[in-house]
Amino acid sequence: MEHREPAVHLGRGFWSVTFALAIVAALSIYAWVVAPIAGWLPEAANKAQQIDALFRFLAASGTALFVFVVGYLLYFAIAFRRRANDPPDALGVQIHDNNALEFWWTLIPTVFLVILVVFSIKIWAGIELGPNTGLTVEAIGHQWYFTFRYPQINGEITNAMHLPVGQPVTLRLTSADVIHSFWVPGMRMKADMVPGLINTLHFTPKRVGRYQIICAEFCGTLHGEMDKQWFVVDPPVKYAAWYDAWQKKNSTASNALPVQSNARVAFGAGDAKIGKQLFSQKCTACHALGPFSQRIVGPGLLGVLHDPAHPNLVNGDKATRENVAEILQNGYKGDMGQMPNQTANALSNTDIANLVAYLNTLK
Amino acid sequence: MAVTASQPGGIADHIHPEPQGFIRKYVFSIDHKIIGIQYIVTSFVFMVLGGLLAELIRIQLMNANGGFMTPDTYNEVYTIHGSTMVWLVIVPMVTGGFGNFVFPLQIGARDVAFPWLNMVSFWMFPPAGLLLYASFLVGAPVAGWTEYPPVSLQGGPGTSMWCAAIFLVGVGTTLTGINFLVTALKMRAPGMTFTRMPLFVWAQFATAPLVMIATTALAAALAALFMERQFGVPFYDPTKGGSPLLWQHMFWFYSHPAVYIMILPVFGIISEVFPTFARKPIFGYKMIAFSSISIALLGFMVWAHHMFTSGLAPFLQLPFMIMTMVIAIPTGIKVFSWLATLWGGKIQYTTAMLFAIAFIATFTLGGISGVFLAAIPFDLWAHGTYFIVAHIHYVLVGGSLTGIFAGMFYWYPKMTGRFMNETLGRWTFWLFVIGLNGTFVPMHWLGLMGMPRRVAEYDPQFQTINRVESLFSFVMTFAILLFFINALWSIRHGKRAGHNPWHARTLEWQIPSPPPYYNFKHIPTVLANPYAFDEPVPYAGLEDELTDSPVPIPAGAH
Repeated sequence: MEHREPAVHLGRGFWSVTFALAIVAALSIYAWVVAPIAGWLPEAANKAQQIDALFRFLAASGTALFVFVVGYLLYFAIAFRRRANDPPDALGVQIHDNNALEFWWTLIPTVFLVILVVFSIKIWAGIELGPNTGLTVEAIGHQWYFTFRYPQINGEITNAMHLPVGQPVTLRLTSADVIHSFWVPGMRMKADMVPGLINTLHFTPKRVGRYQIICAEFCGTLHGEMDKQWFVVDPPVKYAAWYDAWQKKNSTASNALPVQSNARVAFGAGDAKIGKQLFSQKCTACHALGPFSQRIVGPGLLGVLHDPAHPNLVNGDKATRENVAEILQNGYKGDMGQMPNQTANALSNTDIANLVAYLNTLK
Repeated sequence: MAVTASQPGGIADHIHPEPQGFIRKYVFSIDHKIIGIQYIVTSFVFMVLGGLLAELIRIQLMNANGGFMTPDTYNEVYTIHGSTMVWLVIVPMVTGGFGNFVFPLQIGARDVAFPWLNMVSFWMFPPAGLLLYASFLVGAPVAGWTEYPPVSLQGGPGTSMWCAAIFLVGVGTTLTGINFLVTALKMRAPGMTFTRMPLFVWAQFATAPLVMIATTALAAALAALFMERQFGVPFYDPTKGGSPLLWQHMFWFYSHPAVYIMILPVFGIISEVFPTFARKPIFGYKMIAFSSISIALLGFMVWAHHMFTSGLAPFLQLPFMIMTMVIAIPTGIKVFSWLATLWGGKIQYTTAMLFAIAFIATFTLGGISGVFLAAIPFDLWAHGTYFIVAHIHYVLVGGSLTGIFAGMFYWYPKMTGRFMNETLGRWTFWLFVIGLNGTFVPMHWLGLMGMPRRVAEYDPQFQTINRVESLFSFVMTFAILLFFINALWSIRHGKRAGHNPWHARTLEWQIPSPPPYYNFKHIPTVLANPYAFDEPVPYAGLEDELTDSPVPIPAGAH
C-alpha cells in the first residue's frame, strides 16, 4: 500500500541539539587525542605506542558516535513524548522511510570503517609481519608459571625475563601443558602459548622498567596466580651483567636455546621421555602421531625411522637418525611445505637428541 | 493433518479441540503458547540460579585475595554462570520463549509447523539444565563457558556432564530452528507477503537458519570433546596428535553466530515495541528486515576474530577482521532506524518503552566496544581481559536481557490478560539501568589496565573498583528480584488488560488475551504491512474473534 509521506521539517530544536552534540563530540575527541595513555599504563615497547595510537582513534571515534546516538536518543525521548494535553492515542508523524537519509547513514559508517580497516591493517602489519631479527628468546607456559630460555644460556630461567632496551626482540611462545597466554600490559600485546605450536611476538623494548607478565588464558586452578613474574627492560650494561651471571650459573645444564649449528648431535644422550614432551610442545601443530599418510602440514611421524614403506625422508635422504637430526637442525623446504630450522623452533642439539630418541621409539 | 496450500486461509485451517487434563494441557502440551510460556518460565528459573552464581562471583571479587571460595570452586561457579546464562537463559528465552509465544500469532497461524516436535524440543531443555547443575555434585567444569582443551581435558567428571547437557539443549534448539523456519515459510496467513511480515517475524526468520547450522557444529565439537574425555579418542590433545585449535574453530563457528541468535530476536522485540509506543511506523522497515538477514549471513564469516591471539596464520586474520567490521554497518542501520522511529513520535512511557530506549544506549556501547575488538592490534591488548567481560555483558545484559524485559512488559498482558505493575516496573527499570552500568562500565578500564578474566584473585590495585562493581551488581540483582515479584504478583493481581491495551497493530493483539487454544476462529487475511498507524488495522476476517460466536471445530475433528 502506498503512503503519501508527510513533509519532514527538522526544527530549530533539532539543529541546536545537533550543534550541542557536535561540540560535546569534538571535546571528547580532543580529550582522547590528548589523553595521557602512557601515563596510565607505561608503553614498554615500540608496538605499545602504535597500538595506543589505534586505541586513541577507536576511543575518540567511538565516543563521538556514542555521544550522538545517546544524545539524539535522549533528545527524541524527551522532545517527542506524549504531552499531558495530547489525546490518549495521539499519533506521531506517519513517515515510513527516507531513502536519502538511509543512504547517508549507510555510506558514512562504511567510509569510516574503510579508514579504520586501513589504519588497523597498517599497524597489524608492523606487529605480525616483522622480521625475525634481533635477540631470540623463548617463553614457555607451565601450570602455573612461565620459564624463559636465552641463546647460550643453559637451562630455563624461572624468575624474570630480562631484555636490553632498544634492541629488537623475537619472542617465541609455547606451552608445556595447556594453553596459556603471554600478556605484558605494558607492551599491550599478547599471544597464546599453545602446546604443539610456536607463536611469535616481535618488538623493541623502549622504556627501562619492570612490567607484569600476566597469563590471559584460563589454564587451571591457579590461573589467577600467574601474574607474579616480571618482564624487565634493562639498560644494555645491566642486561649484559644479568646475562653473564645466568650463563655462568647454568653452565652445567645443557639445553641452551641454540643458534643454528651443524654440530654433531650426541644421540647417545637422548632421552625419549623428554623428547616426548618436546614433541607435544613443538611438533604436533604440523605432525600427527600417525602413519606417513596422516598429514597435517608435514607427514605423520609414527615409525619415521622404522617404516619399510617409506625408507627415505621427505628430502630424499635415507631415514636415519643423523638425517632426521639434520632436518631438525636446518629445517626443510620442498614438496611437503616448509619446516623451520632449529633456531626458529628453539631446539638445542640436546633437544634434538631427545626428540630423535623419542622418534626412534615410535614403531 | 491434511496440509494443502490451497485451503482457504492458508494451510492448516483446521481447529483441533483443546486437550483436557492438566498433563496434556500444561505439561506435555503441544500448544505453541503454552510451550512458549514453559520456555520463558524455565529460563527465568535458570536465570535465578545463574544470577545467584553471578553474585557469588561478585562476592569473591570484593577481595583481591579472594578467600570467599577456593579457586576451584570459583572456577566452577563462573563456568556454570556463563553456561547457564547463554544456553539456559538467553538462547531458550528469545527463540523458544518469545519465538514460540509471539511469532505464530503474528503470522496468523494456529500453531507452529510441527507441534509435537516443538514439545520434544522443549522437554530436552529442563533435563539438560538439571544435568548441568548436577555436575556440581561430581565436580563441575572449570574452564569457563568456552571450555578450551587441553585444560578442559583435565577437568573433573562434571566436564563430560557439561558436554552432554549442552549437547542436549543444543539438539532442542536445533529442532526449534527447523520448526520455525518451516513455520515462517509455510504457515503465514494469506496475504502476508514477506514485506508485510512484522519485524519480530523477520527476526525469528533470520535466526532460525542460524540456529540450525551453527548449533550442529557445536554438537560435533561437544561430541568430540566428550569422546576424548571418556574414551581417549584424541581430537584435541596435542600430546596424542590432536589439535587444541580445532576446538576453538568449531566452538566459535557456533558461538559467534550464537551471539546473533541471542540478539536478533531481541532486535525484533525492539522493532515491535518502538512503533507501538512512539505511535509511528517503524522507520526503514525494509532496511531493518534486510539488515537482520545480512547480519545472520555475515555472522557465519567472523568466528576466528575470537582467535586473533591463538596463532592463526597472519593473512587468515585479516578477512575475519574486515568481515567483523562490516557487521557494524547493518547493525548501525538498525540503531539509526530505531532513533528515527522515535523522531516525531508521541512517545508513551510504559515500562516496556523505557527498557527499549535503554536498550539502544547500552547495546550501542556493546556494539562500539565490539568494533574496537575487531581491530586486531587492539584485540591483542584486550583479549582475555575484563574488557571482553564488559563487552559480552553489554551485549548480553545491556542488549539481550534489557530487550527481554521490554518484551516481557510488552507481551505479559497477551500471555496472562493482565498488566504487570507499572510503578514497580519503573523501579525495576531505574535500578536495573543504574546497576547494569555501574557494574560493567568500570570493567573496560580494569581489562585495559591489566586484569585478566577468570581469575579467583587479582592484583590489589584493582580492589576498589571491583568493590564498587560488586555493590552495583547487588543493585542490579535487586532490580531483577523486583521484576520476578512483579511477574508473579501480577498473574493474579495485575490490572486487567483487555485484548489490545497498547493499541498495537500486529495480529496477536487482534484476538483475546490470553489467546484461545486455536488462536484464530478464522484465519485472517493480511492486507498490508502492520505499521501504518493512520490506516485501519490491515486485516480481513477477524470479525468473530472477539465475539461469542461458536468455534468452528469440524465434525469428527480430533
